[in-house]
Amino acid sequence: MGHTSLEKIIALQKKTPHIRNLCILAHVDHGKTTLADCLVASNGIISSRLAGKLRYLDSREDEQIRGITMKSSAISLHYTTGGNEYLINLIDSPGHVDFSSEVSTAVRLCDGAIVVVDAVEGVCPQTQVVLRQAWLENIRPVLVINKIDRLIVELKLTSQEAYTHLQKILEQVNAVTGSLFTSKVLEERAEKDAEAQSSCTENGSGDQVYDWSAGLEETDDSDLYFSPDRGNVVFASAIDGWGFSIHQFAEMYSQKMGIRSSVLLKTLWGDFYLNAKAKKIMKGAQSKGKKPLFVQLVLDNIWSMYDAVVTRRDKEKVEKMVTSLGLKVMSRDLRHSDPKVLLSAICSQWLPVSQAVLSMVCEKLPSPAEISAERVEKLMSVGARRFDSLPEQTQELKKAFLDCSADETAPVIVFVSKMFAVDSKALPQNKQRPLTQEEIAQRREQARQRHAERQAANQSAESPGAGCIATPINRCITEALSVKTAVEEDNKEHFVAFARVYSGVLRKGQKVFVLGPKYDPSLALRLPEGCSAADVLPSVPHMACCTVDSLYLLMGRELEELDEVPTGNVLGIGGMEEFILKSATISTSPSCPPFTPLNFEATPIVRVAVEPKHPSEMPKLVRGMRLLNQADPCAEVLIQETGEHVLVTAGEVHLQRCLDDLRERFAKIEISASKPIIPFRETVIRPPKVDMVNEDMGKQQKVAVIHQVKEEQTKYPEGVQVDSTGLVTLTTPNKMATVGVRAIPLPEEVTRLLEDNVELIRTMEQFSLFAWEDKTLDINQKILENIQEFKVKLESNLQGRKWRGAVERIWAFGPRRCGPNILLNSVEGYRRPSVWQCLEREKETEKAEIRDFDNSIASGFQLATLSGPMCEEPLMGVCFSVETWDMKLSAPLAQQDSIDEDSQTAEPNIDNQNESSDTHETNASSASSNRSRSGAEAAGSSVDCYGPFSGQLIAAMKEACRYAFQAKPQRLMAAMYTCEIMATAEVLGRVYAVLSKREGRVLQEEMKEGTDMFIIKAVLPVAESFGFADEIRKRTSGLASPQLVFSHWEVISSDPFWVPTTEEEYLHFGEKADSSNQALKYMNAVRRRKGLYVEEKIVEHAEKQRTLSKNK
Amino acid sequence: MSIFTPTNQIRLTNVAVVRMKKAGKRFEIACYKNKVMSWRSGAEKDLDEVLQTHTVFVNVSKGQVAKRDDLSSAFGTEDLTEACTQILAKGELQVSDRERQSQLEHMFRDIATIVAEKCVNPETKRPYTVILIERVIKQLQQSIQIQRAHMRLRFVLPARDGKRLKEKLRPLIKTVENEDFTEQLEMVCLIDPGCFRDIDELIRCETKGKGTLEVLSLKDVEEGDEKLE
Repeated sequence: MGHTSLEKIIALQKKTPHIRNLCILAHVDHGKTTLADCLVASNGIISSRLAGKLRYLDSREDEQIRGITMKSSAISLHYTTGGNEYLINLIDSPGHVDFSSEVSTAVRLCDGAIVVVDAVEGVCPQTQVVLRQAWLENIRPVLVINKIDRLIVELKLTSQEAYTHLQKILEQVNAVTGSLFTSKVLEERAEKDAEAQSSCTENGSGDQVYDWSAGLEETDDSDLYFSPDRGNVVFASAIDGWGFSIHQFAEMYSQKMGIRSSVLLKTLWGDFYLNAKAKKIMKGAQSKGKKPLFVQLVLDNIWSMYDAVVTRRDKEKVEKMVTSLGLKVMSRDLRHSDPKVLLSAICSQWLPVSQAVLSMVCEKLPSPAEISAERVEKLMSVGARRFDSLPEQTQELKKAFLDCSADETAPVIVFVSKMFAVDSKALPQNKQRPLTQEEIAQRREQARQRHAERQAANQSAESPGAGCIATPINRCITEALSVKTAVEEDNKEHFVAFARVYSGVLRKGQKVFVLGPKYDPSLALRLPEGCSAADVLPSVPHMACCTVDSLYLLMGRELEELDEVPTGNVLGIGGMEEFILKSATISTSPSCPPFTPLNFEATPIVRVAVEPKHPSEMPKLVRGMRLLNQADPCAEVLIQETGEHVLVTAGEVHLQRCLDDLRERFAKIEISASKPIIPFRETVIRPPKVDMVNEDMGKQQKVAVIHQVKEEQTKYPEGVQVDSTGLVTLTTPNKMATVGVRAIPLPEEVTRLLEDNVELIRTMEQFSLFAWEDKTLDINQKILENIQEFKVKLESNLQGRKWRGAVERIWAFGPRRCGPNILLNSVEGYRRPSVWQCLEREKETEKAEIRDFDNSIASGFQLATLSGPMCEEPLMGVCFSVETWDMKLSAPLAQQDSIDEDSQTAEPNIDNQNESSDTHETNASSASSNRSRSGAEAAGSSVDCYGPFSGQLIAAMKEACRYAFQAKPQRLMAAMYTCEIMATAEVLGRVYAVLSKREGRVLQEEMKEGTDMFIIKAVLPVAESFGFADEIRKRTSGLASPQLVFSHWEVISSDPFWVPTTEEEYLHFGEKADSSNQALKYMNAVRRRKGLYVEEKIVEHAEKQRTLSKNK
Repeated sequence: MSIFTPTNQIRLTNVAVVRMKKAGKRFEIACYKNKVMSWRSGAEKDLDEVLQTHTVFVNVSKGQVAKRDDLSSAFGTEDLTEACTQILAKGELQVSDRERQSQLEHMFRDIATIVAEKCVNPETKRPYTVILIERVIKQLQQSIQIQRAHMRLRFVLPARDGKRLKEKLRPLIKTVENEDFTEQLEMVCLIDPGCFRDIDELIRCETKGKGTLEVLSLKDVEEGDEKLE
């Protein structure tokens, strides 16, 4: 068959019932791309000799090198059968787990799928996944059992054995389909039950009917299964280029043997045998030990062919077979030393795989016009929204979907499932094409002119007129410049949207709405009736208007330009990169709903931090990451608060591809990827009651340890007093103020409450700030109620003697004024306005007074909570209670204390208060003058050698908090992921092993109803999650796939500063306690990263150093 | 006195000598290499891992032991271990190779961390990572855009002083984010942290304590993660 012309395809695109949109799905390495090759070859796009070797649709270099497909790509094929011409839009998809997002994008655009299964390996994990994906998208699958040649050549099965093997595979596939079906039925059943129950309770009493039938009996599932006699199974060997369905053989033998083909169709697969004497087809081949019909009539022929061509190389027999089959084999192939060449030459004529597959596809898979109402509703109802709840106008569009008409009046509905990057060189506009006669002539003329000019210029250069020289040079420069800009243009990546038309005709130059995934069609109702994208409209969130720039026919690596694309076709749309991020819906009707988001089987979990090799190339990296994000449906990119650029991918292979893409296409710079920074939190806990060996602490005698004593001494510097209850008292350097602070652990619930109500706290903070300036901030009633509720909750959680009245005494929250730590005012005789003043606006209690430098104490607290003493990470769940705060406030005292000459000399100025003088002296004058607000003095702000007093107080408060923190048992808190793992029963043990190795903890495990899958819920420290997904996949051969979501912070139970102190602990851990301490490990890693001091010996054992220098 | 010949010569290869001059005498102790710093920082707690022998020498390489009398006059004790710890703590030492290396590394890290902490990328207002800063420092010919993270201040000035002060403050302020001049002048602005004291002083002096100054944030950086889209 010759190359199909573009015109032909355009003509075919208009015949919707003759279009088939399908994708090829399978486990990795089951031969999807090879099969696609065979189908492509049938259209003469590639040579049939190269089919299976070229992997035409794997256009990326790394795809070819690795031998796996990494993206879905489409190609349009033409196929004629029985006088009908079909257009087949074929999408090849990747099989590797990491790229299952690409599968999702492919499946969405199709109406049918070819599921390929390896005849040797059978059903693999990814096969199950793709079957599920097809099921979820409501598309109809057909089965191709591929690589049958391996049964013959590698496994050396007899035809009888192969038959049973194939049967088994078919059973496996059907089992998967069956379980999908049952789980769906059970789900529906559960829903119904829930509804029934609610209605039951409404009815009150009544006859309770217990129905124990699972509902499976009532639902018909027979049309779901694969069976050769239904014609939805093809047996093939794509690499050798052959494939057949029972149908073909039935036709063949009905002519030969005179049995009706319908009878043969029914009996060719199954437990039937041919009774030659009775000339009857009988049932029960197995029990009678006879060859089943399938073996006798089909497999045996193929087996003998392989035997003759590959195994024995019997030339005569081959020739005989060839003539009996009526084939023509070129003598070149006959003489070829590789028997495979001959084999494929014969087979591809005898049983061409493309013929078998494509005819099955045309017959069994639906055309775009046959889209089911159920699927339309599913596509249109976003998220949990029911179809019925959509606006009326939107519901009307359902008809347009079902009609699938290419009329002028039909609304255009297009779904874009992904964006892919194309080199601008590959775009048809930029493609080099042969020049026409006139153009050549024109160019010649131009060249001649240029030459003449140059000569003229040379002549004038010889003459002394210097001014003339400039012109050609200038021109050269401008030309060079224009060349440069042209080159830059060329390097730009172009994005093409991978899309399908569901209704109407999409034309070049048409004005359309681009609807983002979060677009809400009910917003469109506000727009004027009958408006179109061409009108000027008010902006609606997630909606944009644009003109269709260019339309392409996707032909694998090539793109062909089109002017219009009628309904039901897969296409590429150019020039959409500014409007579409990853996926979108395009329509002429604003009431069109965005399609449901794609079902991604794999969520991105592998996180890495990427950095450019050359730091100056940062902007390029950011630009590249943006492009990558657009081009990849599954990758996520973000900049973290720490300044890291993080790339999140679905797996290691995906990561590798993303990095390659960044390096070579999008950023074009060298980059390096590293482990991302892991956040921690610091906290204090109540003194533990038991020690590391679970012995009661109080009863034991502590063994005196020398170095312990030494440590105690170095812990607190001079001027810090710590009493036995953990109260830390600290004085500012100028000895003017003393603060006493105690750290108390907050109950876990309180911490969580504070974390959940950050916004409320922020509002309260703002209110206090305004109140400070005697202004009021209006907070709406709803928020006030929420704050009230929050306060009540806090009170109920802070019970007990220790916390009496604590909620009222809250001074501030931190860090950043809204964090999960509390500053408590326990200073006797100091009443300051509470943080809850927004609630008490009406009552207006006695005016509480704010002391001077109140703010400094709060700032000190903010600083202390922002970075803790363990490894400078933020604190969490700590309450600092300020118990004493003494100030020596009188001005003369201050000056005695801080013997500051400046303030002494400034003394005279206090009286005359010379405003205009802005010499240094005025500092002191203002310092000793009273501060307006309180009317108290402000001696503190005197300038002494320690800097401004407010600063000193901040520092003192911060230090006091830190020491108070250190006086309590300190702990690190680790960020935790919740991890949901789906695994089959046989790999359960390995999943547990990986989890426990990485400090994970299993929370629950349950079996999914109707399947043999277990769902395991576990928590895992973020610090241990690097490479976790990959490890678990490797260890379970891909049968378990984890999903990680950040959940909460958890205290690491081990003490990072722990050393054995009791007899038992010595026995257990030895004196040095060198067994690994998880908390210490984390803490030191963070400290080392931050360049903080790490208590580590440079050399562990002094005696074990290399003692000889090199030259001795 | 022993005679030094190649045969009875003992090479001290794993030895770091710590010297101290006290009471006009020179004292030395023999320690293991790369251990003295650990001892001083408190990481090493076992004295035997630091000292080769609990002996105080006059000259380690010659093996001359210090006299008991000199010891007691210098250290006030005859306990050798006590004398050793004193010398260890205060004596001058030859820094060993790996000690020096780790010191340098530590210093370098420190510098990079401080830079990373205090500075931001002026375009994105986000900090650079320490690793990136380190790399830039190492390859000096490279350059990145860097800016001291600004401090966000808010000050309220009485209307009387507002106008006058504003002119004085102008050169110190980088950007004014918010300005409200009704009854009093209220400004939210970004400044270079280096100017903080100047501004603080200026406001306090000029308004005679009537103006208030508040630090809203020590460094103005973008908070939260940003998704690139």
